[in-house]
Amino acid sequence: MQQLLNGIFIGSIYALFAIGFTLVFGILDRLNLAHPAVFAASAFVGIELVERGGLSLWAALPIVFVFGALLGLVIERVAFRPLKGRADAHFAGLISSIALAGMLVALLQWRYGPDTRRFPPGSFPDTRFEFAGAQVTLVQVVILAISLALMVGLTYMVTRTRLGRGMRAVAENPTAARVLGVDVDRVTAVTFAISSALGAVAGVLFAINVNTAQLGMGSAIELKGLAVIIVGGMGSLPGALIGGLLLGLAEVFAVQYIGSSWRDVIAFGLLFVILLLRPQGLLGARKVREV
Amino acid sequence: MLDQYATTLTFIALGAIFAYSFYAVLIAGQLSLGQAGFASLAAFSGAYLAPSGADVGEIPALLIAVVIGMSVGALAAVVLGLPTMHLRGVFLAIATLGFAEAVRVVLLNQEWTGGAQGLGVPRVLTVGMAWTALALVAYWFWRMGRSRYGRALEAIREDELAARSMGIDVGRHRLAAFVTAGAVAGLYGVLYAYYVRLIAPNDFDFIAAVEGLVTAVVGGSTMFLGPLLGSGFQTIVPEVQRAVGVEAGWIRPFLAGLLLLVVILFLPGGLASLIPRRTRMPSGAADDDDAAGLAGRRHPAAGEPVVTLAGLGKEYGGVHAVRGVDLEIRAGEVVGLIGPNGAGKTTLVNMISGLVPPSTGSATVLGTAIGSTPVHRIAAAGVSRTFQHSKLFNRLSALENVLVGAHLVSRPTFLRRLLWLPSARRDERAALRQAARCLARVGLTSLAATRAEALSYGDQRRLEIARALASDPSLLILDEPAAGMNHVEAAELSQLIRSLAQDGLTILFIEHNVGMVLQTCSRVVVLNFGEVIASGAPEAIAADPAVIEAYLGSADDDVDGGLLAEGTRADATPAEDAPPDAVMNLRPGDAGTLDTPDTGPREAT
Repeated sequence: MQQLLNGIFIGSIYALFAIGFTLVFGILDRLNLAHPAVFAASAFVGIELVERGGLSLWAALPIVFVFGALLGLVIERVAFRPLKGRADAHFAGLISSIALAGMLVALLQWRYGPDTRRFPPGSFPDTRFEFAGAQVTLVQVVILAISLALMVGLTYMVTRTRLGRGMRAVAENPTAARVLGVDVDRVTAVTFAISSALGAVAGVLFAINVNTAQLGMGSAIELKGLAVIIVGGMGSLPGALIGGLLLGLAEVFAVQYIGSSWRDVIAFGLLFVILLLRPQGLLGARKVREV
Repeated sequence: MLDQYATTLTFIALGAIFAYSFYAVLIAGQLSLGQAGFASLAAFSGAYLAPSGADVGEIPALLIAVVIGMSVGALAAVVLGLPTMHLRGVFLAIATLGFAEAVRVVLLNQEWTGGAQGLGVPRVLTVGMAWTALALVAYWFWRMGRSRYGRALEAIREDELAARSMGIDVGRHRLAAFVTAGAVAGLYGVLYAYYVRLIAPNDFDFIAAVEGLVTAVVGGSTMFLGPLLGSGFQTIVPEVQRAVGVEAGWIRPFLAGLLLLVVILFLPGGLASLIPRRTRMPSGAADDDDAAGLAGRRHPAAGEPVVTLAGLGKEYGGVHAVRGVDLEIRAGEVVGLIGPNGAGKTTLVNMISGLVPPSTGSATVLGTAIGSTPVHRIAAAGVSRTFQHSKLFNRLSALENVLVGAHLVSRPTFLRRLLWLPSARRDERAALRQAARCLARVGLTSLAATRAEALSYGDQRRLEIARALASDPSLLILDEPAAGMNHVEAAELSQLIRSLAQDGLTILFIEHNVGMVLQTCSRVVVLNFGEVIASGAPEAIAADPAVIEAYLGSADDDVDGGLLAEGTRADATPAEDAPPDAVMNLRPGDAGTLDTPDTGPREAT
């Protein structure tokens, strides 16, 4: 039971991270590899807000959300918009976002140094619950609640609001959307902002969960994020949620029953099988594209 | 002097070889990140299985390890490639990445690899050996560039479906590119192992794979020198920074990232785009022997059946796009296929050219039964086509486009080009002459060196016809060749079609310009709601009341403007019954000029 809950907590963070990833991919058909750098940056910024700004953990979260959104706008402007209309935009976007990620991590190193950072002692409330014989901290419950709330909010926004309709129109056909009066550039920028804001919150929550932030934390979760969006289905928001939870659970149980060194084989074995049997992912609709 | 820079130079060579393993698949438009896995498997098996240097001498030991490593890499690529070759783009990248990660974790947990501590390997590789290996790899890709095989890979990168229709077996070519990548990655793995003294599975992780990819793309993934330039750039930037006294720490990775960003944003073709590319021009003279060096084709004699359709039908989710079509086309005929938008014309020719399998009925095209026969086989039987929306190989020159069209009639030249055999040069010249002839035929000789994407709309349509002609087809299918052309251009096109027919070519073409069809064709077939409603000589069709009723509207309209307008009105009503492949043009004359969502059936893989 304890393992099950742990799996769900870590899985919800994976899901939140992956949802940002898959949002950009599903709508804009671009893989933004600067996303993991946003994840890492926001963890450091969150720690600094608590440590130096003296904010409580929960007051820091909205600030980090805004910080992530701003970073998303920068990423779109610098790494993606200049590539618009280029025949190799796919590859070039991958590389330019990798370059930007490298620069972001370098800036983090400049500001915070190469060492692992932690929240100051006493940042976390000590409240614990007993739940079906398992230990649960308040922090974990809040992590889960925030993740779920953000994901539900995002789903609502994409399916119900005017902006969401614009996003879906752009996903379907950017040219047609433009003809019909959708401001494609704005929708693109907003998509990046939302995606990065979610990634940023995921970063802080991850840092809270394990109480560490490291420069390399982005690349560690990057692979998992990729696995999650494939397993769930490229561009599918509920798919990313399910994929994230599945991965969290698979990892926790793999560590318990097989040994920690084999953990990643489970994740990637799962990924591989899904790609072969159901390339569109668990919940992905098969999108037929011209190459 | 050389000693001082030996380490840097060796790493440039190693990085370049690794980048070539990415280049090998990027050139065919495949994004793979599995090369780190291939390199890892090769490095460990090579270092583990090769005899020790003390027994056979160091260099023989290295060579044996290289052979083992390249074989292991290639074999791993086959094993990974067979199930994953149907994946595209990011999906392939992530599947191969998953493979590489799985390899890494498995090797970490093996005892013979030393796990996380790694495996000690003697340092045998010198800077000279590394550069020799690099030269061999670069030579391979250099000679590949202008061979039939290299062109086919580029064509697949630019437009897979069009490549298939030119008779290229896409699956085999993609797998071949993947296996090449595996072998080259294997070479890198072994050389790396014999240089760094200690290899650990974590040397071949995700970050290593991304670095290889970055190197290949920064250098330029469409020119064979790209990976070398990329590796030089990636290796020298930190060295220069150190030399000019930039402190270690954050500034170095920051500047490296910034430079990478600048290169990728401002040099679309990578560093290699700074090198002027020699464009090939057709050699005008030497028209000595037309067919020498080209594979011969047997064309059906005039009057022999070319296409036989019996009860052919296609259904999309209950909508009958084409229903019970019986049609025979005989060699030498010029058949015009007309009908309102959504009548099923494109679906019908897609079935004939093998792009879409029929739901009912049977069809034989040039002796080949269609249905489960792959597109490239039908092309090989002698069918060549153009597309409703131009599907050119955009980044290739007009001449190169037509050279790809000649794929089926030219001979494979890559292996002979590696050995500089004169016969390869002869065959390449023959293909060039064939391409030049086809370009001249459509009047594009002066634009031979222009990139296809830079051509005007009408020229693109003509280039498509030239490309289709290059395979010396028995049956030429043209899907709305005059769409978007003005009257003068359309008249020229009509002239061209008639002259092709005089050469004995069988032609089936779809056209909305009814006047042009009536002038050009020997027979006209009218399709409405997926069924043939009339078939016969142009004059008879123009007078057929059923046709006038269904398609031409009222008979007393003038032929040019009125007919088209009526045609629009006729299909405005049944629009919701239209099959999903129907592209609804606002006005028939505008077909193709508006970037309509292409909802035509495509093969998903």
